[in-house]
Amino acid sequence: MKFILATILCLAGALLHAEDAPVITVTKSEKLTIAVSGISGPESAAVQKTLQNDLLMSGYFTVVPADRAQFLAGGTAASELTGKVTDHGGKTVLSKTFSGAGKAKAHAFADEIVETLTGHKGIASTKIAFVANHTGAKEIYSADADGGNVVQLTHDRVISVAPRLSADGRRLLYTGYQSGYADVYEIDLGSGSRNRIMKYPGTNSGATFSPDGGRIAVTLSKDGNTELYVTNSGGGSPHRLTRTQGVESSPTWSPDGNEIIYSYDDHGSPQLYRISAGGGEGRALSTGRNYNTEPNWSPDGKKVAFNVRESGSFQVAILDLGGGTRIVGEGQDPVWGADSRHLIFAQGGSLILLDAQTGQRNTLASGLGKISEPTWSR
Amino acid sequence: MVALNSHSPRKILTFTFTPMFRPISKAATTFLSLSLALSLGACVNTKKKQDGSAAYGPDGDTINGTPLPERQEGVSFFGSNVDRNRFHPVYFAFDSYTVSGNEQAKIGEVASFLRETHGTVIIAGFTDERGTPEYNRGLGERRALAVRQALIAAGASGGSIQTVSFGAEMPADPSSNESAWAKNRRAEFGAVKQ
Repeated sequence: MKFILATILCLAGALLHAEDAPVITVTKSEKLTIAVSGISGPESAAVQKTLQNDLLMSGYFTVVPADRAQFLAGGTAASELTGKVTDHGGKTVLSKTFSGAGKAKAHAFADEIVETLTGHKGIASTKIAFVANHTGAKEIYSADADGGNVVQLTHDRVISVAPRLSADGRRLLYTGYQSGYADVYEIDLGSGSRNRIMKYPGTNSGATFSPDGGRIAVTLSKDGNTELYVTNSGGGSPHRLTRTQGVESSPTWSPDGNEIIYSYDDHGSPQLYRISAGGGEGRALSTGRNYNTEPNWSPDGKKVAFNVRESGSFQVAILDLGGGTRIVGEGQDPVWGADSRHLIFAQGGSLILLDAQTGQRNTLASGLGKISEPTWSR
Repeated sequence: MVALNSHSPRKILTFTFTPMFRPISKAATTFLSLSLALSLGACVNTKKKQDGSAAYGPDGDTINGTPLPERQEGVSFFGSNVDRNRFHPVYFAFDSYTVSGNEQAKIGEVASFLRETHGTVIIAGFTDERGTPEYNRGLGERRALAVRQALIAAGASGGSIQTVSFGAEMPADPSSNESAWAKNRRAEFGAVKQ
């Protein structure tokens, strides 16, 4: 494999040129070994714990004692985190200072380690959001990607559903029923301000930011049928993409923002379709299944996670856009992480994190009543 | 090829060719349009923009029937100014939005009310729990719109009918069995009090 060769060359090169960061690509069977015991300072215990958890969660690392590790993560954890990673020869491969509240700096250090040593984007600093109903009403919650730092965002005691985070995690769109109708709201997560940005006649739902945040794909019924539209970032100037008798739902953008995949149902057999974000004809994607809903396009553009229904239960499926479909387990509403490797989805009321490469599963959140419809920043 | 994979053959039906095929049956028209589309492909689309006929919507098609009216401020399906018990709900088969023949009497009753009183109704569409959430919201809205189309076909004005979908929320029967699901696959009428 090209990547493995590159890895060897880079490792060799790193010995000769200390300034070149090594690029290591881990294959399915092998993980890098790293020790996190070299951290000192007043916040060392908390940072070490978070770092270890994040590195394990990434799927690329095994955390081991220092004498057996290929890499050693160290540094000083105080109000700022001065992070440093050395290889077993003592050569520095990463040195950077991280700021931020609480666990944020440890998450940032973890992502930097993942990116430097594997070339893949980390997920530790990303944000998730979901619907939970333990208060008796469906409300929107946000959390860190490890399930920590859960914050209830809506307190309306009406139905609040279909949350979708922007790629940068700063804004959130959702479908809320305060008016008695399904409208699209936007929350600025930094300031906490909220605006109703779509209140077209009929139902407004499934709104999703384009990867650059400049446009929104959404299902509207204002023209007398449920169709897919693209609006500007404020919910205005809706441009209609589809013209059908059936139902379009759950638009998801390609990483370059040029295309949209969605679910189309005419008579009880919803299929995945792909359409240009500018309009044109929707083209069916063959999945080999007869019930395909809630698609989510991976950030690397190569695959789509979605739901299939088989013998009465919902399964999470992955369609490789260059090939076939595989089922990864029971669950609903799968969403890809920034690494195009992990998925989160709802199962039995809990929020599950799945490493789609290894099959490793973890429960990220539970005990909030029934959790549904997760979303994940990139 | 493009037209074969497309799920919107009626798009082609609605411009250029329609007058030519008017005397022919709808099925035959669709077939002929599709055949022509196969050979003509993209040039059909370029003609659409030039055809500014008033019979078509602003985007040049007629697929959706009648656009929804603007909402009335302060009036919503579960609001106190709406009577939700005046009419019987319309029920649907699993994963279907077709208004069946047995439900036509209910449609007729609401259509008469709308024609005679010039009142307005809000149709709320619901699904059973056996679907993913956003799919259910879409299906619920489609059910409400199918009922609206049936009312329009029965002589009601589209401008007096608003729709909303609650998907699988607020089931009529919260149990998880066939009889509950059948009760939950429904469109309810809310008559706006005058």
